[in-house]
Amino acid sequence: MPEKNIREMTELEKKHFSLAAKTFHATLMGAIVFGMVSLLIGLGLYAYALAQQYIGTAFNLSRNAAAIIEKVADPEPFVEQVMTTYRALPETERKTADTDAYRAHFAAYTTDAVFESIRGILKDFYESSDVYDVYLGMYDRETSALVYLVDPADGEADYCLPGDWDGVTRRGMEKYLTWDGKGELYDIDNTQRYGWMCTAGMPIQNADGEIICFVLTDVTLENVGHGMSRFFWQYTGGMIVIVFLIAYFMTHHTKRTVIAPINAISDAAIAYVQDKQDGVLDSKHFRDLNISTGDEIENLYWIMSDMERDLGTYEENLTRAIAEKERIGTELELATRIQADMLPNIYPAFPDRPEFDIYATMTPAKEVGGDFYDFFLIDQNHLGIVMADVSGKGVPAALFMMASKILLQNHAMMGKSPKEVLECVNNQICSNNREQMFVTVWLGVLDITTGVITAANAGHEYPVWKKDANGVFELLKDKHGFVVGGMAGVSYREYEIAMHPGTKLFLYTDGVPEANNANNELFGNARMLAALNEAADGSVTEVLASVNRAVEAFAAGAPQFDDLTMLCLEYIGKGDRI
Amino acid sequence: MKINQTKNGSALVIALEGRLDTMTAPELEEQLKEGLNGVEDLTFDFEKLDYISSAGLRVLLSAQKTMHRQGKMKVVHVNETIMEVFEVTGFTDFLCIE
Repeated sequence: MPEKNIREMTELEKKHFSLAAKTFHATLMGAIVFGMVSLLIGLGLYAYALAQQYIGTAFNLSRNAAAIIEKVADPEPFVEQVMTTYRALPETERKTADTDAYRAHFAAYTTDAVFESIRGILKDFYESSDVYDVYLGMYDRETSALVYLVDPADGEADYCLPGDWDGVTRRGMEKYLTWDGKGELYDIDNTQRYGWMCTAGMPIQNADGEIICFVLTDVTLENVGHGMSRFFWQYTGGMIVIVFLIAYFMTHHTKRTVIAPINAISDAAIAYVQDKQDGVLDSKHFRDLNISTGDEIENLYWIMSDMERDLGTYEENLTRAIAEKERIGTELELATRIQADMLPNIYPAFPDRPEFDIYATMTPAKEVGGDFYDFFLIDQNHLGIVMADVSGKGVPAALFMMASKILLQNHAMMGKSPKEVLECVNNQICSNNREQMFVTVWLGVLDITTGVITAANAGHEYPVWKKDANGVFELLKDKHGFVVGGMAGVSYREYEIAMHPGTKLFLYTDGVPEANNANNELFGNARMLAALNEAADGSVTEVLASVNRAVEAFAAGAPQFDDLTMLCLEYIGKGDRI
Repeated sequence: MKINQTKNGSALVIALEGRLDTMTAPELEEQLKEGLNGVEDLTFDFEKLDYISSAGLRVLLSAQKTMHRQGKMKVVHVNETIMEVFEVTGFTDFLCIE
């Protein structure tokens, strides 16, 4: 595993860790391991087969020679004489086997007719084959020796005369002497004198079935070694060439079927990202690759082109959705402004009417709200005052609020009493209100001359008032009717509030007492009254400012749940402000 | 807000927990749209309801109108705060509160 990631690599390192290099190395390693194993197996088989061939040749030679000797001559008396002479010699004399003195004991046998005859046969075999030697010999159990009887190779350096002997291992000797006649009789030995040598033998037996002697054929295995070495070099040379050819073609194949498509996909991905940064929507980098390898890479290609297409569609939709959202946002902002403009918001509202002072504010919780206040002169002596709260919030509430506001004002402007206004508006709204929207309304009409307010309450909060200049703010628990829009045919009750110079009336929506703080506690009527009384003697503006401050301090950053709408009316009358 | 509905034949008890306001009222409205099919006796259990806003009242109003046509509806275990809201808005005359 490389220590760096691919992005930190130089071109050379990239080449070194590329799939092509990996394929090349993996193929090379695999082929070398395979080659070595097959070489070892091949060498083994080769050596075994060659050795078997040599052994077979030697054994057949011995067998054929033995068969001919048995037919042509009876070697028993000759063998008997040589072996008897050998066994009769003392051990000290036997040790001097190569000397002329020793050989003198056996000189007489070399003129034996049987010796000559056997020597002729063996010589024919020896000369017509490329074995090391073929000869007649007999094992002597007592001295663990192979005693040579007839050797055709006269004149050669290792020519053996009758009576010459070589020491043998007991295991090798027993193998010959106790052979059961099955398979091939041979023994392989590595001696200093002859090197790796295989001796295959065929016993010659007398009429009683006793072994008289053996026809033995020596083949040297040096040739097997030479053959193996030649085989090794030829095989290795061929293998190296083939291995490199395979690795080269595998690498080439991998480059064409794996690396090239992967690089194409990588390049497409880079181009795709570039397109995204440039804001191109309908890129077709993956689609245009047209990979058809029929494997996982083609699958990857399809997935990538599908992704490209789906992301394109998704992005288009998203762009449209964002544009739509922006449009709605803009429209909501506009709606909020229109809504705010619908409510009287220029103060002083009636600069030419010194008999009263009025001030109102609305702070919606969402962009557009369902709360509203309203005040308007019905005629020169009557002021209509509305405080209302539409169920719910947002655009639906704002739409309903607009309708309610216009209906209420229209009916009030006709000079109807508050009770009549509410009943008419309620029936009108209920006649077509499938969404079950409703609005709580406090509606009052102030007789500016007398200071008497005729009011009706359709499910709205209790008004708060300060009876006279010296009083304190307190709840005015008026008689409530059902909300407007709840049920058709509801009737409302009217009552009167007598205003004196200095009397203040405070109207609000539930957003004020139900303002939340972070601990989910409600602001409540008590805190509201306290805030009002703090500014009891102030102007209507100061009264609302005091409540606003108190609510803000209480909420301390908690999100505003409900619209916050307040109105304060102070009656001044004909006299001066007290 | 949590809404627990327990149905027993044609009787349905809806126990509300938490606040029924602008954020949560649409969820209740959605459930009632389907849930009131075949209900003849609807009970709202307000034992664990802390607060109701005008949006919540609207859902009650809507439910009450549906139940007028197919059976009866009542509201039980109303706490003081909510009772005050019912009184102020005139819902006390409209709803059957026990």
